[in-house]
Amino acid sequence: MKRPADIFYFVLLFLLQLVISDYVHLGPWICLNLIPLLILLIPLSYRPHAVLLIAFGLGLGLDLLSDGVPGLNAFAAVLAAAPRKFFYRTMVNADRQDKTEVPLMGEVGLVKYLKYLAVLTAIYLVAYVLVDCISFRPAGFIALKVIASWLASTALCLLLALPLQSRN
Amino acid sequence: MKNRYGLLSSLTAIALFIVLETVAIVMVVNGSVVQRYKVLGAVRSVESWFWARTSKISYYFNYKTENERLAAENLQLRQQLAGYAAAQAELDSVVRIIEPDYTFIGATVIRNSVDKQHNYLILDRGEKEGVEPGMGVITARGVIGIVSAVSRHYSYVISLLNTEQSVSAKHAGSGAFGPMTWQGRDPGRALLAEIPVHVQVAPGDTVLSSGFSTIYPPDIPIGSVEDTHISQGSSQELTVVLFEDFRSLHNVYIVRNNRGTEIQELYEKAR
Repeated sequence: MKRPADIFYFVLLFLLQLVISDYVHLGPWICLNLIPLLILLIPLSYRPHAVLLIAFGLGLGLDLLSDGVPGLNAFAAVLAAAPRKFFYRTMVNADRQDKTEVPLMGEVGLVKYLKYLAVLTAIYLVAYVLVDCISFRPAGFIALKVIASWLASTALCLLLALPLQSRN
Repeated sequence: MKNRYGLLSSLTAIALFIVLETVAIVMVVNGSVVQRYKVLGAVRSVESWFWARTSKISYYFNYKTENERLAAENLQLRQQLAGYAAAQAELDSVVRIIEPDYTFIGATVIRNSVDKQHNYLILDRGEKEGVEPGMGVITARGVIGIVSAVSRHYSYVISLLNTEQSVSAKHAGSGAFGPMTWQGRDPGRALLAEIPVHVQVAPGDTVLSSGFSTIYPPDIPIGSVEDTHISQGSSQELTVVLFEDFRSLHNVYIVRNNRGTEIQELYEKAR
Protein backbone atom coordinates (compact mmCIF):
# COMPACT_ATOMS: atom_id res chain seq x y z
CA MET A 1 0.00 0.00 0.00
CA LYS A 2 2.76 2.38 -0.92
CA ARG A 3 1.28 3.68 -4.15
CA PRO A 4 -1.22 6.57 -3.87
CA ALA A 5 -3.69 4.49 -5.93
CA ASP A 6 -3.62 1.71 -3.31
CA ILE A 7 -4.17 4.14 -0.46
CA PHE A 8 -6.99 5.77 -2.41
CA TYR A 9 -8.68 2.39 -2.98
CA PHE A 10 -8.20 1.47 0.69
CA VAL A 11 -9.90 4.70 1.81
CA LEU A 12 -12.60 4.23 -0.82
CA LEU A 13 -13.38 0.74 0.51
CA PHE A 14 -13.62 2.08 4.06
CA LEU A 15 -16.03 4.81 2.92
CA LEU A 16 -18.03 2.18 1.05
CA GLN A 17 -18.23 0.16 4.28
CA LEU A 18 -19.63 3.23 6.06
CA VAL A 19 -22.28 3.61 3.36
CA ILE A 20 -23.13 -0.11 3.60
CA SER A 21 -23.44 0.09 7.39
CA ASP A 22 -25.64 3.17 7.24
CA TYR A 23 -27.81 2.58 4.22
CA VAL A 24 -27.75 -1.07 3.09
CA HIS A 25 -30.14 -3.13 5.23
CA LEU A 26 -30.47 -6.79 4.29
CA GLY A 27 -32.41 -7.98 7.32
CA PRO A 28 -31.26 -9.30 10.70
CA TRP A 29 -29.58 -12.35 9.17
CA ILE A 30 -26.95 -10.66 7.03
CA CYS A 31 -24.30 -8.10 7.87
CA LEU A 32 -22.04 -7.10 5.02
CA ASN A 33 -18.49 -6.33 6.05
CA LEU A 34 -15.47 -5.25 4.02
CA ILE A 35 -13.04 -4.90 6.94
CA PRO A 36 -11.57 -8.41 6.27
CA LEU A 37 -10.63 -7.25 2.76
CA LEU A 38 -9.07 -4.07 4.18
CA ILE A 39 -7.03 -6.18 6.63
CA LEU A 40 -5.92 -8.34 3.73
CA LEU A 41 -4.77 -5.22 1.84
CA ILE A 42 -2.41 -4.11 4.61
CA PRO A 43 1.11 -4.91 3.29
CA LEU A 44 2.65 -8.09 4.67
CA SER A 45 5.90 -6.23 5.42
CA TYR A 46 4.20 -4.18 8.13
CA ARG A 47 5.14 -5.14 11.69
CA PRO A 48 2.48 -7.09 13.64
CA HIS A 49 2.07 -4.16 16.05
CA ALA A 50 1.26 -1.82 13.17
CA VAL A 51 -1.19 -4.32 11.64
CA LEU A 52 -3.02 -4.75 14.96
CA LEU A 53 -3.22 -1.00 15.51
CA ILE A 54 -4.45 -0.35 11.96
CA ALA A 55 -7.08 -3.09 12.32
CA PHE A 56 -8.19 -1.68 15.67
CA GLY A 57 -8.39 1.81 14.16
CA LEU A 58 -10.44 0.56 11.19
CA GLY A 59 -12.88 -1.29 13.43
CA LEU A 60 -13.24 1.52 15.93
CA GLY A 61 -13.60 4.06 13.13
CA LEU A 62 -16.43 2.02 11.68
CA ASP A 63 -18.06 1.61 15.12
CA LEU A 64 -17.97 5.33 15.82
CA LEU A 65 -18.92 6.64 12.40
CA SER A 66 -21.81 4.32 11.63
CA ASP A 67 -24.45 2.20 13.33
CA GLY A 68 -23.02 -0.17 15.87
CA VAL A 69 -21.82 -0.81 19.37
CA PRO A 70 -18.45 0.85 20.10
CA GLY A 71 -15.71 -1.77 20.22
CA LEU A 72 -17.61 -4.46 18.33
CA ASN A 73 -15.92 -4.10 14.95
CA ALA A 74 -12.64 -3.19 16.67
CA PHE A 75 -12.67 -6.51 18.56
CA ALA A 76 -13.42 -8.54 15.44
CA ALA A 77 -10.88 -6.67 13.31
CA VAL A 78 -8.01 -7.24 15.75
CA LEU A 79 -8.92 -10.93 16.04
CA ALA A 80 -8.89 -11.32 12.25
CA ALA A 81 -5.70 -9.30 11.80
CA ALA A 82 -3.63 -11.22 14.36
CA PRO A 83 -3.35 -14.56 12.49
CA ARG A 84 -3.27 -12.93 9.05
CA LYS A 85 0.37 -13.75 8.29
CA PHE A 86 0.01 -17.32 9.54
CA PHE A 87 -2.85 -17.99 7.14
CA TYR A 88 -0.99 -16.28 4.32
CA ARG A 89 2.00 -18.57 4.82
CA THR A 90 -0.03 -21.76 5.17
CA MET A 91 -2.69 -21.15 2.54
CA VAL A 92 -1.23 -18.84 -0.07
CA ASN A 93 2.54 -18.93 0.08
CA ALA A 94 3.43 -22.29 1.58
CA ASP A 95 6.70 -22.60 -0.33
CA ARG A 96 7.80 -19.09 0.75
CA GLN A 97 8.71 -18.22 -2.87
CA ASP A 98 6.50 -15.20 -3.26
CA LYS A 99 7.83 -11.97 -1.76
CA THR A 100 4.79 -9.92 -2.59
CA GLU A 101 3.79 -6.98 -0.43
CA VAL A 102 0.04 -7.36 -0.83
CA PRO A 103 -1.31 -10.70 -2.12
CA LEU A 104 -3.46 -10.02 -5.18
CA MET A 105 -5.91 -12.37 -6.85
CA GLY A 106 -4.24 -12.20 -10.26
CA GLU A 107 -0.89 -13.15 -8.77
CA VAL A 108 -1.75 -15.89 -6.25
CA GLY A 109 -4.71 -17.42 -8.11
CA LEU A 110 -8.42 -17.31 -7.44
CA VAL A 111 -8.65 -20.47 -5.30
CA LYS A 112 -5.83 -19.54 -2.91
CA TYR A 113 -7.02 -15.96 -2.68
CA LEU A 114 -10.59 -17.04 -2.01
CA LYS A 115 -9.49 -19.45 0.73
CA TYR A 116 -7.36 -16.77 2.39
CA LEU A 117 -10.14 -14.19 2.18
CA ALA A 118 -12.82 -16.66 3.31
CA VAL A 119 -10.87 -17.64 6.45
CA LEU A 120 -10.22 -14.03 7.50
CA THR A 121 -13.86 -13.15 6.85
CA ALA A 122 -15.04 -16.16 8.85
CA ILE A 123 -12.86 -15.26 11.86
CA TYR A 124 -14.07 -11.67 11.69
CA LEU A 125 -17.77 -12.53 11.44
CA VAL A 126 -17.74 -15.28 14.07
CA ALA A 127 -16.19 -12.79 16.53
CA TYR A 128 -18.52 -9.98 15.47
CA VAL A 129 -21.78 -11.94 15.61
CA LEU A 130 -20.86 -13.80 18.81
CA VAL A 131 -20.05 -10.63 20.74
CA ASP A 132 -23.11 -8.87 19.31
CA CYS A 133 -25.63 -11.66 19.96
CA ILE A 134 -24.28 -14.03 22.60
CA SER A 135 -26.34 -14.63 25.74
CA PHE A 136 -29.54 -13.21 24.31
CA ARG A 137 -29.84 -14.92 20.91
CA PRO A 138 -30.37 -18.64 20.30
CA ALA A 139 -27.43 -20.61 18.91
CA GLY A 140 -29.34 -21.38 15.71
CA PHE A 141 -29.84 -17.71 14.97
CA ILE A 142 -26.16 -16.97 15.61
CA ALA A 143 -25.02 -19.85 13.38
CA LEU A 144 -27.36 -18.85 10.53
CA LYS A 145 -26.36 -15.20 10.80
CA VAL A 146 -22.65 -16.09 10.69
CA ILE A 147 -23.10 -18.35 7.65
CA ALA A 148 -25.33 -15.93 5.70
CA SER A 149 -23.09 -12.95 6.52
CA TRP A 150 -19.96 -14.93 5.67
CA LEU A 151 -21.27 -15.97 2.24
CA ALA A 152 -22.47 -12.46 1.40
CA SER A 153 -19.38 -10.65 2.73
CA THR A 154 -16.89 -13.03 1.09
CA ALA A 155 -18.67 -12.67 -2.26
CA LEU A 156 -18.70 -8.87 -1.99
CA CYS A 157 -15.05 -8.69 -0.88
CA LEU A 158 -14.05 -10.94 -3.80
CA LEU A 159 -15.92 -8.70 -6.19
CA LEU A 160 -14.24 -5.60 -4.80
CA ALA A 161 -10.82 -7.28 -4.95
CA LEU A 162 -11.16 -7.65 -8.72
CA PRO A 163 -9.88 -4.14 -9.56
CA LEU A 164 -6.67 -5.08 -7.73
CA GLN A 165 -5.99 -8.22 -9.76
CA SER A 166 -2.33 -7.61 -10.39
CA ARG A 167 0.44 -5.02 -10.25
CA ASN A 168 0.73 -4.83 -14.05
CA MET B 1 20.78 -11.15 19.53
CA LYS B 2 18.48 -11.36 16.53
CA ASN B 3 16.52 -14.20 18.19
CA ARG B 4 16.14 -12.18 21.36
CA TYR B 5 14.84 -9.23 19.39
CA GLY B 6 12.41 -11.52 17.56
CA LEU B 7 11.15 -13.02 20.81
CA LEU B 8 10.75 -9.60 22.38
CA SER B 9 8.89 -8.37 19.31
CA SER B 10 6.54 -11.38 19.41
CA LEU B 11 5.87 -10.92 23.11
CA THR B 12 5.06 -7.23 22.71
CA ALA B 13 2.78 -8.06 19.76
CA ILE B 14 0.91 -10.61 21.90
CA ALA B 15 0.68 -8.09 24.73
CA LEU B 16 -0.63 -5.45 22.31
CA PHE B 17 -3.18 -7.95 20.97
CA ILE B 18 -4.44 -8.68 24.49
CA VAL B 19 -4.59 -4.98 25.38
CA LEU B 20 -6.50 -4.05 22.20
CA GLU B 21 -8.98 -6.90 22.59
CA THR B 22 -9.52 -6.03 26.25
CA VAL B 23 -10.08 -2.36 25.38
CA ALA B 24 -12.56 -3.40 22.68
CA ILE B 25 -14.51 -5.71 25.00
CA VAL B 26 -14.59 -3.09 27.77
CA MET B 27 -15.97 -0.63 25.22
CA VAL B 28 -18.63 -3.12 24.13
CA VAL B 29 -19.67 -3.79 27.74
CA ASN B 30 -19.52 -0.22 29.05
CA GLY B 31 -19.58 2.01 26.03
CA SER B 32 -23.14 2.84 25.24
CA VAL B 33 -24.46 4.43 22.11
CA VAL B 34 -25.06 7.53 24.19
CA GLN B 35 -21.37 7.91 24.94
CA ARG B 36 -20.61 7.52 21.27
CA TYR B 37 -23.14 10.20 20.48
CA LYS B 38 -21.53 12.56 22.95
CA VAL B 39 -17.92 11.78 22.04
CA LEU B 40 -18.59 12.38 18.39
CA GLY B 41 -20.90 15.33 18.89
CA ALA B 42 -19.42 17.42 16.11
CA VAL B 43 -19.40 14.56 13.61
CA ARG B 44 -22.97 13.64 14.58
CA SER B 45 -24.12 17.22 14.01
CA VAL B 46 -22.82 17.12 10.43
CA GLU B 47 -24.27 13.64 9.91
CA SER B 48 -27.63 14.71 11.36
CA TRP B 49 -27.73 17.66 8.99
CA PHE B 50 -27.04 15.32 6.06
CA TRP B 51 -29.59 12.73 7.27
CA ALA B 52 -32.23 15.43 7.63
CA ARG B 53 -31.78 16.21 3.92
CA THR B 54 -31.73 12.60 2.72
CA SER B 55 -34.80 11.73 4.83
CA LYS B 56 -36.71 14.52 3.05
CA ILE B 57 -35.90 12.91 -0.29
CA SER B 58 -37.00 9.43 0.82
CA TYR B 59 -40.11 10.93 2.48
CA TYR B 60 -41.09 12.50 -0.85
CA PHE B 61 -41.51 9.01 -2.32
CA ASN B 62 -43.71 7.90 0.62
CA TYR B 63 -46.10 10.87 0.62
CA LYS B 64 -49.13 8.88 -0.47
CA THR B 65 -48.85 6.16 2.21
CA GLU B 66 -47.97 8.69 4.90
CA ASN B 67 -50.91 10.95 3.96
CA GLU B 68 -53.31 8.02 4.13
CA ARG B 69 -51.98 7.03 7.54
CA LEU B 70 -52.23 10.62 8.84
CA ALA B 71 -55.77 10.92 7.47
CA ALA B 72 -56.77 7.75 9.34
CA GLU B 73 -55.12 9.06 12.49
CA ASN B 74 -56.91 12.41 12.10
CA LEU B 75 -60.25 10.64 11.80
CA GLN B 76 -59.57 8.66 14.95
CA LEU B 77 -58.52 11.82 16.82
CA ARG B 78 -61.62 13.70 15.64
CA GLN B 79 -63.80 10.91 16.98
CA GLN B 80 -61.97 11.07 20.31
CA LEU B 81 -62.35 14.85 20.33
CA ALA B 82 -66.09 14.56 19.81
CA GLY B 83 -66.24 12.30 22.86
CA TYR B 84 -64.19 14.74 24.90
CA ALA B 85 -66.41 17.66 23.86
CA ALA B 86 -69.39 15.91 25.38
CA ALA B 87 -67.49 15.27 28.56
CA GLN B 88 -66.23 18.86 28.62
CA ALA B 89 -69.70 20.17 29.48
CA GLU B 90 -69.66 18.09 32.64
CA LEU B 91 -66.12 19.09 33.45
CA ASP B 92 -66.91 22.79 33.13
CA SER B 93 -68.64 22.58 36.46
CA VAL B 94 -65.42 21.51 38.09
CA VAL B 95 -63.57 24.56 39.36
CA ARG B 96 -60.00 23.32 39.55
CA ILE B 97 -57.80 23.62 36.54
CA ILE B 98 -56.81 20.24 35.24
CA GLU B 99 -53.24 20.02 34.05
CA PRO B 100 -52.80 17.24 31.51
CA ASP B 101 -50.59 14.37 32.64
CA TYR B 102 -48.77 14.26 29.33
CA THR B 103 -47.80 16.79 26.69
CA PHE B 104 -46.46 15.94 23.26
CA ILE B 105 -43.80 17.34 20.94
CA GLY B 106 -44.19 16.46 17.27
CA ALA B 107 -40.99 15.30 15.58
CA THR B 108 -39.78 13.85 12.31
CA VAL B 109 -37.56 10.79 12.05
CA ILE B 110 -34.46 11.67 10.06
CA ARG B 111 -32.56 8.45 10.69
CA ASN B 112 -33.82 5.00 11.53
CA SER B 113 -32.34 1.52 11.66
CA VAL B 114 -34.33 -1.71 11.92
CA ASP B 115 -31.93 -4.47 10.88
CA LYS B 116 -29.47 -4.44 13.74
CA GLN B 117 -29.55 -5.85 17.25
CA HIS B 118 -29.32 -2.33 18.73
CA ASN B 119 -31.50 -0.12 16.58
CA TYR B 120 -31.95 3.60 17.07
CA LEU B 121 -33.61 6.69 15.61
CA ILE B 122 -32.55 10.30 15.23
CA LEU B 123 -35.32 12.91 15.52
CA ASP B 124 -35.24 16.51 14.35
CA ARG B 125 -36.14 17.92 17.77
CA GLY B 126 -33.66 18.62 20.55
CA GLU B 127 -32.95 20.71 23.65
CA LYS B 128 -34.21 23.80 21.86
CA GLU B 129 -37.71 22.31 21.69
CA GLY B 130 -37.59 21.04 25.29
CA VAL B 131 -36.64 17.43 24.60
CA GLU B 132 -34.85 15.69 27.46
CA PRO B 133 -33.25 12.27 27.89
CA GLY B 134 -35.68 9.71 29.32
CA MET B 135 -38.72 10.96 27.41
CA GLY B 136 -40.79 8.38 25.53
CA VAL B 137 -41.46 8.42 21.81
CA ILE B 138 -44.78 7.17 20.42
CA THR B 139 -47.07 7.23 17.44
CA ALA B 140 -50.80 6.60 17.31
CA ARG B 141 -49.94 2.98 16.48
CA GLY B 142 -47.45 2.13 19.18
CA VAL B 143 -44.50 2.92 21.38
CA ILE B 144 -41.32 3.65 19.46
CA GLY B 145 -38.51 4.13 21.98
CA ILE B 146 -36.87 6.29 24.63
CA VAL B 147 -34.84 9.47 24.11
CA SER B 148 -31.31 8.63 25.13
CA ALA B 149 -29.25 11.69 24.25
CA VAL B 150 -30.08 15.18 23.10
CA SER B 151 -28.19 17.83 21.18
CA ARG B 152 -29.36 21.37 20.46
CA HIS B 153 -31.48 20.42 17.44
CA TYR B 154 -31.62 16.61 17.42
CA SER B 155 -32.35 13.74 19.74
CA TYR B 156 -31.08 10.17 19.75
CA VAL B 157 -33.71 7.55 20.52
CA ILE B 158 -33.09 3.94 21.51
CA SER B 159 -35.67 2.08 19.48
CA LEU B 160 -38.09 -0.52 20.81
CA LEU B 161 -36.29 -2.68 18.24
CA ASN B 162 -33.30 -2.92 20.55
CA THR B 163 -32.59 -6.15 22.38
CA GLU B 164 -31.76 -4.22 25.55
CA GLN B 165 -35.02 -2.26 25.54
CA SER B 166 -38.14 -3.29 27.46
CA VAL B 167 -41.63 -1.73 27.56
CA SER B 168 -44.32 -2.37 30.15
CA ALA B 169 -47.37 -3.59 28.21
CA LYS B 170 -50.72 -5.17 29.06
CA HIS B 171 -53.24 -7.52 27.56
CA ALA B 172 -56.26 -5.34 26.77
CA GLY B 173 -58.94 -7.85 27.77
CA SER B 174 -57.61 -8.84 31.19
CA GLY B 175 -55.29 -6.01 32.14
CA ALA B 176 -52.51 -8.53 32.84
CA PHE B 177 -49.20 -6.84 32.24
CA GLY B 178 -45.57 -7.71 31.73
CA PRO B 179 -42.37 -6.62 30.01
CA MET B 180 -42.44 -6.55 26.24
CA THR B 181 -39.14 -6.99 24.45
CA TRP B 182 -37.96 -7.28 20.88
CA GLN B 183 -36.35 -10.61 20.04
CA GLY B 184 -33.87 -9.28 17.49
CA ARG B 185 -35.25 -11.02 14.43
CA ASP B 186 -38.45 -9.66 12.95
CA PRO B 187 -38.98 -5.86 13.17
CA GLY B 188 -42.73 -6.52 13.04
CA ARG B 189 -42.96 -8.72 16.15
CA ALA B 190 -42.18 -8.53 19.88
CA LEU B 191 -42.64 -10.79 22.89
CA LEU B 192 -44.85 -9.95 25.89
CA ALA B 193 -43.74 -12.09 28.85
CA GLU B 194 -44.90 -12.84 32.41
CA ILE B 195 -48.64 -13.05 31.64
CA PRO B 196 -50.19 -15.42 34.23
CA VAL B 197 -51.26 -18.80 32.86
CA HIS B 198 -54.87 -18.39 34.07
CA VAL B 199 -55.40 -15.34 31.84
CA GLN B 200 -57.42 -16.23 28.74
CA VAL B 201 -55.60 -14.90 25.70
CA ALA B 202 -56.77 -15.39 22.12
CA PRO B 203 -55.04 -14.60 18.83
CA GLY B 204 -56.07 -11.13 17.68
CA ASP B 205 -56.37 -9.70 21.20
CA THR B 206 -54.98 -6.19 21.52
CA VAL B 207 -51.88 -5.30 23.52
CA LEU B 208 -51.65 -1.79 25.02
CA SER B 209 -49.04 0.22 26.87
CA SER B 210 -49.58 -0.27 30.61
CA GLY B 211 -48.68 3.25 31.72
CA PHE B 212 -46.93 1.80 34.77
CA SER B 213 -43.69 3.50 33.85
CA THR B 214 -43.41 7.28 33.82
CA ILE B 215 -42.29 7.15 30.20
CA TYR B 216 -45.33 6.24 28.10
CA PRO B 217 -49.00 7.17 28.57
CA PRO B 218 -51.32 4.22 29.25
CA ASP B 219 -53.54 2.48 26.68
CA ILE B 220 -51.59 3.21 23.51
CA PRO B 221 -52.36 0.34 21.13
CA ILE B 222 -49.11 -1.50 20.45
CA GLY B 223 -50.08 -4.63 18.57
CA SER B 224 -52.20 -7.75 18.44
CA VAL B 225 -51.52 -11.21 19.82
CA GLU B 226 -50.40 -13.70 17.20
CA ASP B 227 -49.87 -16.75 19.38
CA THR B 228 -49.09 -17.77 22.95
CA HIS B 229 -46.99 -20.37 24.69
CA ILE B 230 -46.29 -21.36 28.25
CA SER B 231 -42.86 -20.38 29.51
CA GLN B 232 -41.27 -22.57 32.22
CA GLY B 233 -44.71 -23.72 33.30
CA SER B 234 -45.41 -20.56 35.25
CA SER B 235 -46.42 -17.84 32.81
CA GLN B 236 -47.43 -17.19 29.23
CA GLU B 237 -45.41 -15.51 26.54
CA LEU B 238 -47.37 -13.73 23.83
CA THR B 239 -46.01 -13.11 20.36
CA VAL B 240 -47.25 -9.64 19.45
CA VAL B 241 -47.56 -8.36 15.89
CA LEU B 242 -46.73 -4.65 16.16
CA PHE B 243 -49.20 -2.19 14.65
CA GLU B 244 -46.47 0.28 13.78
CA ASP B 245 -44.27 -0.44 10.79
CA PHE B 246 -40.84 0.67 11.97
CA ARG B 247 -39.47 0.58 8.43
CA SER B 248 -41.68 3.46 7.33
CA LEU B 249 -41.63 5.62 10.46
CA HIS B 250 -41.71 9.33 9.76
CA ASN B 251 -43.86 11.38 12.13
CA VAL B 252 -43.64 10.63 15.85
CA TYR B 253 -44.51 12.30 19.16
CA ILE B 254 -42.08 12.84 22.00
CA VAL B 255 -43.89 12.43 25.33
CA ARG B 256 -43.33 14.61 28.36
CA ASN B 257 -44.83 13.22 31.57
CA ASN B 258 -45.77 16.34 33.54
CA ARG B 259 -46.01 14.32 36.73
CA GLY B 260 -42.86 12.31 36.08
CA THR B 261 -40.63 14.37 38.39
CA GLU B 262 -43.16 14.20 41.21
CA ILE B 263 -43.49 10.42 40.86
CA GLN B 264 -39.72 10.05 40.74
CA GLU B 265 -39.31 12.19 43.88
CA LEU B 266 -41.91 10.10 45.70
CA TYR B 267 -40.10 6.97 44.62
CA GLU B 268 -36.78 8.36 45.91
CA LYS B 269 -38.38 9.24 49.26
CA ALA B 270 -39.83 5.78 49.67
CA ARG B 271 -36.47 4.07 49.04
